[in-house]
Amino acid sequence: MDFPIAAKLGSLLAKDYAADIFELLVNYRAISASEVATRLNLHIQTAQDFLEGLAELGILSKEEISEKKRPYFRYLLQQKRIIIDIDLDQVKRLPTAANLALRIRERQNAGARFSVARSDDYITSIAIWTGEGRERQERKIKLTTPQGRFLFHLPFPGAAALTIEEIMRKAGVEADLSPEILDLVQLLDKYEVIEKL
Amino acid sequence: MSQNRKLRPDRSINGIIPFLSILFLFGLGTLIFGVPIGLKILAGGFWIFAAYSLYIFFRTGNIGHMLVGAYDVFVGAMMYVAAGYVPGRWPPSREWALAWIAGIVFFGAFLIYLAATKKIKWRGREIFELAGEAVSETGNGYTPRPRPVGKIGFNKPEILSFARFCSRHLVAVAYASPRQVSLVPVKMGDEYTFMFRGIASNPEVTWISFDFDGEVVVHISHKDYLDYAEPLAFDKLCESLGLLFIEFAELHQRGEGVRVIDRLDSLKMSYFS
Repeated sequence: MDFPIAAKLGSLLAKDYAADIFELLVNYRAISASEVATRLNLHIQTAQDFLEGLAELGILSKEEISEKKRPYFRYLLQQKRIIIDIDLDQVKRLPTAANLALRIRERQNAGARFSVARSDDYITSIAIWTGEGRERQERKIKLTTPQGRFLFHLPFPGAAALTIEEIMRKAGVEADLSPEILDLVQLLDKYEVIEKL
Repeated sequence: MSQNRKLRPDRSINGIIPFLSILFLFGLGTLIFGVPIGLKILAGGFWIFAAYSLYIFFRTGNIGHMLVGAYDVFVGAMMYVAAGYVPGRWPPSREWALAWIAGIVFFGAFLIYLAATKKIKWRGREIFELAGEAVSETGNGYTPRPRPVGKIGFNKPEILSFARFCSRHLVAVAYASPRQVSLVPVKMGDEYTFMFRGIASNPEVTWISFDFDGEVVVHISHKDYLDYAEPLAFDKLCESLGLLFIEFAELHQRGEGVRVIDRLDSLKMSYFS
């Protein structure tokens, strides 16, 4: 299950009438939105949106009924258990030979402000200017110690660019910390603090 | 040694502003309150300089500044005594005149010696000039980030000894912390405001840091970078400055600290720059 689906399911389950509707769905073979709405004293649109949301997620199926002048849907429960299962490895930034071999250096006139630790061997935070004109704002990003050591060894503007792997080696950052390093590189690239060569 | 300087010519008058200020206050005091008060103001000014010079002596261990302090105390005392002679008893007694001449000759000889041998000269400009000498590429690339330069195989006592050497010879002011020593080159004229700053590692100051694991890091301030006549390749400049201090540390460690002074003197910079 990915984050958007989990978020949608979570938002449906968080409704204060969710438990009541599920109770009806479990005990009724099939139920319509108007039956749910009148049973629970809800607005019909509220019930309709909730049931349609569950149907999109595959928790309910719907069958079209053409009894009266206007056809309508009846909803049937398809799953007796609802499990939210998110594999966080999906969003893990896996280092590949290609992205570790990317050559980078600080961009000239990047305008970023670096705060150095008292020990003068790593950067504790970086302040970046975002937006333009009146909407210009300073955004301060606190770094982890490995990120700070990595940034400390980032080549200067105009200096020979180094690969991410080389900078990590110079900074003494272990290879298994590369996901957070790659995350930092992506952020710095987004705000044009670094340039890729 | 080539006279093609990398730094812009030194046109700063910061160094003489304190003296001109005292002179101005002397003139103003004399005009408003009379000569005796003017002379006492002058005496007070010299005593303030004496306090400053003695502070430098205690802060750096530079003996020359102790002599300058003693000279300032002497002149201040003589001015104070002279103030007593002005209303009606001028010229001063023969004893005052002899003391004045003897003192001026005594201190004058030492001060001329100290100035000629640059023993009381702040060496900041020489440091930056030597660092710039090794850099031929231009291209700017300024960044406020510090730059790691490399590692030296010195232990803590050796690094502290080098720091004391730099301090004593006014090569750089040393700021020690539990993990490292930061050396800050000070240019002539900047010493009056500079010496009262507490912390070296701030972005407006150029510093060279030696941590006690031997890691050397350099930071050049934007103001000092702009003092170069051309936009030198910043990465190379930082590296050059760091390597310069590493070289100085190695010379000192071998007992050849005098070669560091020779290197600075070889630039033949004016005492006032």
